[in-house]
Amino acid sequence: MSPAAVSVRGVGVTYRAYLERNSTLRRVLARRRLRQAIAVVALDNVSFEVRRGETLGLVGDNGAGKSTLLRVIARTMRPDTGSVEIRGKTSTLLQLGAGFNKELSGRRNVYLSGLAHGLRRAEIDRLLDSIVSYAELGEAIDRPLKSYSSGMVSRLAFSISIHLLPDILLLDEVLAVGDAGFRKKSREAMRDMLGRGGTVIVASHILGMMAETCDRVLWLETGRIRDLGPADTVIEAYTAAVPSRAG
Amino acid sequence: MHRSECSLVASGAVESALVSTVTASQAPSLSGWRTYLRNLWRWREFGWFLAMGNLTARNASTSLGLFWWVLNPLIMAAVYFLVFGVIFEGRRGDADFVAWLLAGVFVFNYTATAMTSGANSILANSRLLVNIRFPRLVLPISAIIETGIGFCLSMVVYYVIVWPANGILPGVTIIWLPFAIGLHTLFNLGLAGWTARLAIPFRDINNLIPHLNRLWLYLSPIIWPLSFLEDHAAWIEQLARLNPMFGILSFYRLALMGRELDVFAFVIALGWTLLIGGGGIISFVRHEGNMVRHL
Repeated sequence: MSPAAVSVRGVGVTYRAYLERNSTLRRVLARRRLRQAIAVVALDNVSFEVRRGETLGLVGDNGAGKSTLLRVIARTMRPDTGSVEIRGKTSTLLQLGAGFNKELSGRRNVYLSGLAHGLRRAEIDRLLDSIVSYAELGEAIDRPLKSYSSGMVSRLAFSISIHLLPDILLLDEVLAVGDAGFRKKSREAMRDMLGRGGTVIVASHILGMMAETCDRVLWLETGRIRDLGPADTVIEAYTAAVPSRAG
Repeated sequence: MHRSECSLVASGAVESALVSTVTASQAPSLSGWRTYLRNLWRWREFGWFLAMGNLTARNASTSLGLFWWVLNPLIMAAVYFLVFGVIFEGRRGDADFVAWLLAGVFVFNYTATAMTSGANSILANSRLLVNIRFPRLVLPISAIIETGIGFCLSMVVYYVIVWPANGILPGVTIIWLPFAIGLHTLFNLGLAGWTARLAIPFRDINNLIPHLNRLWLYLSPIIWPLSFLEDHAAWIEQLARLNPMFGILSFYRLALMGRELDVFAFVIALGWTLLIGGGGIISFVRHEGNMVRHL
């Protein structure tokens, strides 16, 4: 078996929470208060592996640690304990339109986003037409982004992510946007990615879609792995735990 | 789909086929710093494009656009001229008061803007930080590029005003201007690194910066001439010259107006640049792995 695309080993992340939202100078100056900060464990000793060509779904209630886990895998956040090993290049869609500037045209935003992902300008030149046609934006690509509908923005963002031809695609609740046609298209794109040995990790509350697209599902509960196994089995157990989760 | 592009992208792919590991503690080693610099160089186009994009966006959203970079300090200088030059007669026999004041205000404004935009560069791009992995230092650098372009523009406007007002034109000493801008920019980048790094866990900093800036402005030889210090005790004058802005301004006034360089203050400013400039950059990079958790 080829080595895992993603290896997560004993990852733990603890946020320091205060009664009010942000830490202030006053609290740091008053050292005693600082120690009274409540430790919120977002991830606790999480270990698992994702094979190449596999789609892993993340389920769990709000605050279970799904987004934190995706950030750690995307390596935009350093964990407090443990390590993450990634084989291949990753592309992330954790928040839609990250790195977009609303005042600028769609075209310039493609460059901005592509460059942020580490592409060269010449590479983006070559990809541009394909990105625009895949996002079905046409002439709108030269309009400022603030005139776009949220569906158009998400199509553009998804199109860019797909065109980065990542080995590992990380998605966080983003496929819910867009019309039915685009949802179908994005599912095809994911299948295509898997076809060339790519790996997808997706967090979502849309359990129906998860059961359909994922090979395995990881159920997170207050930062710990509650269950990890075949998609159907885990989603069934997850919905059974609290019936209102169904649908 | 898009099979044909596959090879194109793969040629310069992000970390393609590389194993990359992130562990809990990443104390930057020497080789770590080398990798960091290499990555920084790789993302240079992004930094430039981000700065240009912000300039364009600013141009699109306000009718005077880029001109505000010059207009803002100009209005500020006009106010100071009215208050300190006319009402308090602060020129004290300095015939070139306009040139003196304007150089000070333009130079100081670059630093003041760098501090604010440095802090904002991280907070305004929080979604980018969460999503995409890149050397974070690109963001304050980009903010400095944006501010620096406005500053260079104001250096041209400087002579447009100073020539009719004081009859001052660029002399031989103007060759020092690029060096002054270089030194000043490094100093500003370090400051932006500090404010960016501190503004993430402590949002209070953003409220503090304008007040610190005003205090710093009054402590620097901008609205008052050097002769002002002569009325005070010698130790006060020595103390005042420890201010990094003292040496930086002296260097600029050598370049712009042909004034004599205050060598002592200049050496002190060099030291500050290494300390604040270098220290700010190092401190920023060491903490960038933890930025996302505060956003």
